[in-house]
Amino acid sequence: MNNTEQIKKSLKKRYRQEKRFRLLSLLAVLTGFACLFILLVDMIINEKLNISANFDLEALQNANFRGLIKQSLHQLFPTVRKRSDKRALMRLISVDAEYRLRDKLQAEPQLLGETVPIWLLVDDDVDTYLKSDKQFGRVSQEQIAWITELEQQDRFQQRFNYWFFQTGDSREPELAGILGAVMGSFYTLLVTLLLSFPIGVMAAVYLEEFAPRNRWIDFIEVNINNLAAVPSIVFGLLGLAVFINFFGLPRSAPLVGGIVLALMTLPTIIIASRSAIKAVSPSMREAALGLGASKIQVAFHHVVPLAMPGILTGTIIGLAQALGETAPLLMIGMVAFIVDIPQGATDAATVLPVQIYLWADSPERAFVAKTAAAILVLLLFLVAMNGLAVWLRKKFERRW
Amino acid sequence: MTTNIEQQINETWGQPFVEDAKISIRNMDVFYADKQAIFDVNLDIGKHEVTALIGPSGCGKSTFLRCLNRMNDTIPICRVAGDISLDGENIYDTHKDPVLLRARVGMVFQKPNPFPKSVYENVAYGPRLHGLALNRAELDDIVVTSLKKAGLYNEVKNRLHSVATGLSGGQQQRLCIARTIAISPEVILMDEPASSLDPIATAIIEELIDELRKNYTIAIVTHSMQQAARVSQRTAYFHLGRIIEVGETTQIFTNPQHELTENYITGRFG
Ligand SMILES: Nc1ncnc2c1ncn2[C@@H]1O[C@H](COP(=O)(O)OP(=O)(O)OP(=O)(O)O)[C@@H](O)[C@H]1O
Ligand SMILES: [Mg+2]
Repeated sequence: MNNTEQIKKSLKKRYRQEKRFRLLSLLAVLTGFACLFILLVDMIINEKLNISANFDLEALQNANFRGLIKQSLHQLFPTVRKRSDKRALMRLISVDAEYRLRDKLQAEPQLLGETVPIWLLVDDDVDTYLKSDKQFGRVSQEQIAWITELEQQDRFQQRFNYWFFQTGDSREPELAGILGAVMGSFYTLLVTLLLSFPIGVMAAVYLEEFAPRNRWIDFIEVNINNLAAVPSIVFGLLGLAVFINFFGLPRSAPLVGGIVLALMTLPTIIIASRSAIKAVSPSMREAALGLGASKIQVAFHHVVPLAMPGILTGTIIGLAQALGETAPLLMIGMVAFIVDIPQGATDAATVLPVQIYLWADSPERAFVAKTAAAILVLLLFLVAMNGLAVWLRKKFERRW
Repeated sequence: MTTNIEQQINETWGQPFVEDAKISIRNMDVFYADKQAIFDVNLDIGKHEVTALIGPSGCGKSTFLRCLNRMNDTIPICRVAGDISLDGENIYDTHKDPVLLRARVGMVFQKPNPFPKSVYENVAYGPRLHGLALNRAELDDIVVTSLKKAGLYNEVKNRLHSVATGLSGGQQQRLCIARTIAISPEVILMDEPASSLDPIATAIIEELIDELRKNYTIAIVTHSMQQAARVSQRTAYFHLGRIIEVGETTQIFTNPQHELTENYITGRFG
């Protein structure tokens, strides 16, 4: 057998292997996507219950929207008489329902005195029960009977849960939203970016373009590299000791979280920026110097713009790390239960990964779905950031 | 025979000095860390003439040239000793900041190195840097004149605003020359400017150099004897960090005095 044939034979095998591998990887990717998609669809759909609400003038004067709901339920199930049973019946509906009823009336005052059908949110236990094909959910026998009856009357409907994206955390899973954590993450990352990007790039430019070669600079370099390897919880301790206890910055605030994460992100940005700056051809520097540009002009007219794509990639990687970071934020109190949506960098807030941790840790079964949804939101954030990085790269590359 | 050459290496033969010197170099030594690259070099670069620097690879031509506009300052381990004066002023004294010096003594490098910007921006960069143009019209004028002087204008007049790295190698090199003359330096240093070009592009550059001589003082490093013979008025032969012989180009090429020079230009060495 000559060489060519031997190679041909092995080539076939290699191609087969390659094909198999490609299929497998594609399968892996698709499985991942499918899981994510199914989760996403399932997560953000909540059950709603249709009952007719009689917007009764009298009940309204006492602002008793709860009474309204009670009345409607009573009409549906007139046989329920016992107080405890009535309460159990009421528990089918989210505690928030009365407020939504009020909001609806406020928005449409002409409904006063009318009887209209209206969709209300069901309680998380009912939601879980319905979604899990009647296997889980803390519902009693009577409640199951009611639910079955309501189902036969087509009074349940799955709706997209917009509420989830419009509100902060809650003890009630059906009411809990992600917006608080999203805003918290946003302000935290904003602080991180504003601090770490300019400082990181400046440090990298100084170290690469201006720093004299001596032992001090070597020492600083080694320490920057070491900083990248420091466990993140240690940064949290630093934040607690220095920024909160010593400088008295507010606890649980994105400001402190952002500063701590900026410290954590700095080494990444510095290292990435330095290698990007190093990669700029020395002939560019010579060309500019030869025309009489000063060192600073060379750095900022030519080197930094040419290194910008690399610098931006490093920055986004650093920020993505910061976005997923939990440990240091626990140390500075960003783990608190916060219902309000933060309005600025000094309001108490939590961030996405911490929110995920909090929900995953809650006993209510319906929080499982919320956790998954929050993870998806976090992933979307990451995808958006990466998209931004790609767009910025393109933009800078086109300009040069 | 060999010992004879070794003995003669320490002094420069010919006429290192001229009457009308633009740059005069006296007793120049250059070190890279502990390693000496230039040994006690004396040379005058005459006004409005082309001085060619020839010699085998690694003999210090680039090092020498880069000292003349203090480009070697950027190499931390490089140390220069001796006197280099431009119009009678020592450039290491009067130009504490080498920026002004480099505006007066421009440089064209071996590999074309245009900025990855538009053709226009490349030429306009220097004038903008030094505030040589008061308004856009003046700047346009400088750009066009420089491109014309570099013999490039006709080829790029329709693509002034497209990116310069898209030009051919020869065009890029002429663009670099245009960029250098846009700030009207007094001296232009060229380090093998045509080494990466084909004969036609080389011929264009050589014509250009001859043309530029009227207004500028030029020092050019080249590996091509023919090129040195064609473009230069004076030639200096470098060997192991020393100038062995220097004189009128015609004399160096037709009647070299030193044996090493003769070996080199007849191709028996280097
Ligand atoms: N940056 C540097 N660091 C250390 N040594 C250097 C450096 N640049 C040049 N040298 C040394 O100085 C000597 C002269 O180098 P130079 O580049 O001036 O030679 P050259 O005559 O230009 O050669 P070529 O014709 O190949 O370009 C060489 O021995 C070289 O190794
Ligand atoms: Mg050289």
